[in-house]
Amino acid sequence: MSTPLIQISGLEKAFATKESWLGQWRFHRGKFKKHQDSIHALNGVNLTINQGETLCVVGETGCGKSTLARAIMGLINPSAGEIHYLDQRIDHLSDQQRMLFRRRMQMVFQNPYASLNPRMTVYQTLKEPIIFHNPELSLAQVDQQIDDLLESVGISASSSDRYPHEFSGGQRQRISLARALSVEPDFIVADEPLSALDVSVQAQVLNLMMDKQEERNLSYLFITHDLAVVEHFATRVAVMYLGRICELAPTNTLFNQPKHPYTRALLSAIPRLDSNTAEPIRLIGEVPVPTEQPIGCVFQARCPYANQRCYDESPAMIAQEDTSSVACHAIEEKRL
Amino acid sequence: MNLLSVSNLHVNFHIKKHELAALIDVSFTLNRGERIAIVGESGAGKSVLGFSIVNLISKPGYIHSGSIKLENKDISKMNLRQLQEIRGKRIAMIFQDPMMTLNPVLTIGDQLVETIRSHTRIAYKDAKNIAIQKLQHVQISSPETRFNQYPHELSGGMRQRVIIASVLLLNPDIIIADEPTTALDVTIQAEILQLLLSICEDNGVALVLISHDLGVVSKVAERTLVMYAGRIVEEGPTLEIINDPQHPYTQGLLNALPQMALPGQRLNQIQGSMPSLSERPSGCAFHPRCPYATEKCQQEQPSFINSGVSSVACFIVEDMLNEFADEEEAYL
Repeated sequence: MSTPLIQISGLEKAFATKESWLGQWRFHRGKFKKHQDSIHALNGVNLTINQGETLCVVGETGCGKSTLARAIMGLINPSAGEIHYLDQRIDHLSDQQRMLFRRRMQMVFQNPYASLNPRMTVYQTLKEPIIFHNPELSLAQVDQQIDDLLESVGISASSSDRYPHEFSGGQRQRISLARALSVEPDFIVADEPLSALDVSVQAQVLNLMMDKQEERNLSYLFITHDLAVVEHFATRVAVMYLGRICELAPTNTLFNQPKHPYTRALLSAIPRLDSNTAEPIRLIGEVPVPTEQPIGCVFQARCPYANQRCYDESPAMIAQEDTSSVACHAIEEKRL
Repeated sequence: MNLLSVSNLHVNFHIKKHELAALIDVSFTLNRGERIAIVGESGAGKSVLGFSIVNLISKPGYIHSGSIKLENKDISKMNLRQLQEIRGKRIAMIFQDPMMTLNPVLTIGDQLVETIRSHTRIAYKDAKNIAIQKLQHVQISSPETRFNQYPHELSGGMRQRVIIASVLLLNPDIIIADEPTTALDVTIQAEILQLLLSICEDNGVALVLISHDLGVVSKVAERTLVMYAGRIVEEGPTLEIINDPQHPYTQGLLNALPQMALPGQRLNQIQGSMPSLSERPSGCAFHPRCPYATEKCQQEQPSFINSGVSSVACFIVEDMLNEFADEEEAYL
């Protein structure tokens, strides 16, 4: 297999919780010490994304999915770890150096009502990235390119002088996708692109994304909490919980034989049409906020199979026979 | 007798001297303890219908004609005083975004107690007891602590539980839930739906669930109304509609679900999009997007017929049924 397109190793990100300068001082053993609380959004994520594949990241709100996407795009700087694009390291680049990668990697955001500038027409929105990254093009060529782009996402070129509010949610999300495609990237990060859309419109946008992938050999990092979409669309799936990846598997394997207790619970919660599906596995409690670097398995508090080892020792990702890998002591010990 | 019966309801919006019809000839009934779902895309009029049941339509919208009868009283003709007796007490509503529904500057407890005390004359202490009891009822852990917390201190799922608790305070007969789980995660969604279901079953409350996701609906509702461009196009038992959808629009909605296509294959999308109120197509409003549309569909509005599975407004289904009946006759 060729070198992976994106390689992430040991990625960590901690956000400092805002406190006043005075509030940061703690009295400890007779001395004042400065102490800043932080929320650990990513705790050592290792991940590779291959060329032409769709890697879906699933997990509940607050598990660090969006932070992962933003770290890859360079919208936030990771606290530790490395991100490689082909063979170049791309974290901690200066803005100038990153510009080269911006046109290879693009992002589609969750809310199409907020991610398009309401004061720019569709034409202006698409023109900006094209002339920025291709200053040599003549205006006529740029116009031609914009028309082609709009047609290719199913929006008539004649509506290019309209403003975002004149379009429906699905059309806006298609314009967002057109904007991402305008610089001809190899890799698109899509952060919950469907969650603001109706079921029928979701289908239109998903189909479009699949068409574009075939045409241009695109790779996607697709972030979602909707497992029905994942099952349909993904090549591989990474399940995230509290800033760690707990299971990584090809889509078929994951849906037929979910291994990690958290994956099992997630899968059982999908609303299915057939009425005779099993009762969902109910998780106790909610996702905790990771203010401290967790000790042991991140899922310990909600896991029905947790034992003492899960509280003491953090499980490593262990490759299974069926090409999936799982981070769980219970599976390693064959208790599950 | 039906608990709620809506008949021939027309709701219009008066915008820039134009009359735009948001609901056209909507009729349905709801029995005591029954759970129904209203399904359709954005702009189908689901929420307008939900709002008009409690007469919450505000200007420029108004109820043009038709009646909404709660037992014998017509809600559409009530004045504000009479409406206040109904809202919350008889019919309660749950909205999509729990953060928008709760007041961010009041504690959970204050909001719950205020609701009780504005409807009944009762001491603060007693109201607090009721509120805490209801919080327990919706499986909120340590309700005494939550009582004094502000909405931003709770997670999305918790907030929606608080809303459900607040709706239960006055023991309503009907709960209208307008996309109650759209803003929530899958795991939380499953829990909230389960909670709504068990509350309705335990207390004999009728539920009107508004959603665009037939997967969600199938778990909760006994009967489903499918809406398109302000009209009901199909109505019947949920399971039968899901197993054997009659109207092409219902078929389209079901086929668009990712689980209906093979992995890696294109999803079956419905071509085009919901028309806006000002551009309603003639005849059957679905005909520009319908794969089976004929000339008749473009000119005339189909009326409801019983297809055996559901009650459906579609010429195609009607023709098929007639053909079938003719064949049967010939055979006999």
